[in-house]
Amino acid sequence: MLLSIDEGITGYRDDSLETVKQNRDDYEMPLKILSYKDLYGWTMDEIVAQIGRKNNCTFCGVFRRQALDRGAAMLNVKCIATGHNADDIAETVLMNVLRGDIARLKRCTAITTGSEGTIPRVKPLKYTYEKEIVMYAHYKKLVYFSTECVFAPNAYRGHARALLKDMEKIRPSCIMDIIYSGETMSIKEEVSLPTQRLCIRCNFVSSQEVCKACVLLEGLNKGLPKLGIGKSSKVKKLLDEYNTRQNNLETAVKDLEDCNITDKKTSKTCKNISNGFKQKECNATNCCTNKTERNVEKNNEKLQTVLDKYSLENNSQVKLDEEDSDDSEIKHQDEDDTCSSSCGRLGVGF
Amino acid sequence: MKCKKCNSSSALIILRKKDLYCRECFLANVTHKFRSSIGKNKILGKADNVLICLSGKEGSTVLLDLINNALSLDNHKKLRITPIFLHLCENYETIKNVIEQCQKYNYDLYSPHISEYVQSKSHIPIVNSLPIVNNELIEEYNNMQNSMLPTVKDDFITNIKRTLYIRYAKLLNCKYIFTGETTTTLATKLLVNLAIGRGSQVQSDVGFLDSRDMEIKIIRPMKDISEEELKLYINSKNLKVNDKQTSKENEHTSLQTVISTFVSSLQENFPSTISTICKTADKIGLQDECDNERHNMCVICQSILKPDEKAISALDATSISKIVSLRKHTDSAIDVDMEKNVINSTIFPYIHNRLCYACSRNYAEIKQSKIPSYIIETQK
Repeated sequence: MLLSIDEGITGYRDDSLETVKQNRDDYEMPLKILSYKDLYGWTMDEIVAQIGRKNNCTFCGVFRRQALDRGAAMLNVKCIATGHNADDIAETVLMNVLRGDIARLKRCTAITTGSEGTIPRVKPLKYTYEKEIVMYAHYKKLVYFSTECVFAPNAYRGHARALLKDMEKIRPSCIMDIIYSGETMSIKEEVSLPTQRLCIRCNFVSSQEVCKACVLLEGLNKGLPKLGIGKSSKVKKLLDEYNTRQNNLETAVKDLEDCNITDKKTSKTCKNISNGFKQKECNATNCCTNKTERNVEKNNEKLQTVLDKYSLENNSQVKLDEEDSDDSEIKHQDEDDTCSSSCGRLGVGF
Repeated sequence: MKCKKCNSSSALIILRKKDLYCRECFLANVTHKFRSSIGKNKILGKADNVLICLSGKEGSTVLLDLINNALSLDNHKKLRITPIFLHLCENYETIKNVIEQCQKYNYDLYSPHISEYVQSKSHIPIVNSLPIVNNELIEEYNNMQNSMLPTVKDDFITNIKRTLYIRYAKLLNCKYIFTGETTTTLATKLLVNLAIGRGSQVQSDVGFLDSRDMEIKIIRPMKDISEEELKLYINSKNLKVNDKQTSKENEHTSLQTVISTFVSSLQENFPSTISTICKTADKIGLQDECDNERHNMCVICQSILKPDEKAISALDATSISKIVSLRKHTDSAIDVDMEKNVINSTIFPYIHNRLCYACSRNYAEIKQSKIPSYIIETQK
């Protein structure tokens, strides 16, 4: 069975999917395509627009892993096979050393990965060089797609790749040697490795309380795209900060709404009263009157009920505004003070 | 311009592009790193003989100065060792500089020639003088060097030096050896080790302590000091470094130069690269350290030879690949095991028998093996 993931990268994935469909027809195997848009509500292009051109591999990789797991679960398979070749594994070993990721360093050279409760993955082409695969595809006249991902030039992996290519020119066996080193390496006992548990939100495997995919997604949805990038210990702190800001915002908005309600009332009276000269004054705070006009149009019914409910409070509100009114523009307008001051100042005050 | 530590206003030294230090705090910092790495690991006993290996380059120049300072303290903080200084002579230019360096502190220097490796035994050389060498030996040594490709040569020289240090340590009655490797050199070494297949030996080659030899231990007390700090130290104290480096080889002829260039350029853009690599190195350990059985050791690098594991590894994959490529098209069944033994003797000579994976690879690449015969004939 074939499984393909559509990350929503224009110019890369859409073209390669055509090739996959061709494979499905040639080999007569069923194909399932899952897309990031369906699973998470975001395409990679949209994500890159939020986060920029660096660090987007994190999003793509984390989402893809989960998407593969979901797809495999849907198809009810025993094992997932991927086409990682020797060059990929060697690059991964180098990258994990450069990034200091000990846990991944330990796992990345295994042929089968996976643990309790997850569908195992296997990399049957682990020992084949990329060059061998290209030659094989060439001689067997296989249909394939070979353009690299449009975001690849900015990826950190590019550095590891460049090093590997330079080393291969000098000593081609270094790729196998790196894989051998990775396999025979062992970690000191006292090093603490993360333990595996389940994400409290989506129930997939995770090493933290909330899995990375959920964290990244939350960050994107809340407009904090950097939430998942960087230390996982700081995620909670950032979220708390965000929530307090949201609360402050909400209380401020609430205040504004209360006053807006009074605005609607007074604007009505204002509109009724002010003609010509007076209207001009009122329109001095242009944006406000426009808003109130719109509000009036939309909330006429509501307005009626509100008027009834708030009649008393409105008077007191207006009095307060009169007292507080400092704007020189509206000072001399006593009758319209209620309107313009409450409209104008509240609009500005927030 | 205030010093970060003591808040005096004479901060002249900038580390990591943003931390300011005055000269005294900086020197104290470097000295502290040196002393704490020795003290933390509680290796040295009282008044032990320690062989200090000098190459004349930056690392060992600073090592020499640090040891001198540590010995000249009068109080309980004095470093309790008896240092014996050694320099392996590769060419006559550098040796004069190193003798001068040692004379500055009134230390004696032993300086045997590196071609001694060709013989299985050596004698204690005369102190403070140029080595008296046998021209035949030098020629044999040079032939050996020339039969190797640059990558193999670099790796082999590292092992030659190690073997000779241990040999002279035994002759001069030292139980410990100090070498002057720093964070930059160790980061490069880790990546080189990975690239040539020495992943299992990382802790010995790059860690603080190399205890592969039964009697002698090699210690790297400067492994936490960075190249930047070295240069500033040398400037602050006006030390003289051996400027004539070995002739600039063409870049990118050996893995070592490629990796070294890579690490320095990556460090420019990502300033935490080298420290991250060193931290990773600290977390990698040796396999089965507390094995009671005495395993065979590789005759070149003295690493433990582990017999074949149950799981397939890159070694098997390479063997199978070679078998399949050499087989004629018509053959059907493969007796993989039998063929493997034959094949292994050509691509992995003496593997797991006398040589570890990496040394075996190197051995296969050396033309007509010019390695001194006594090495391969050594039985454990």
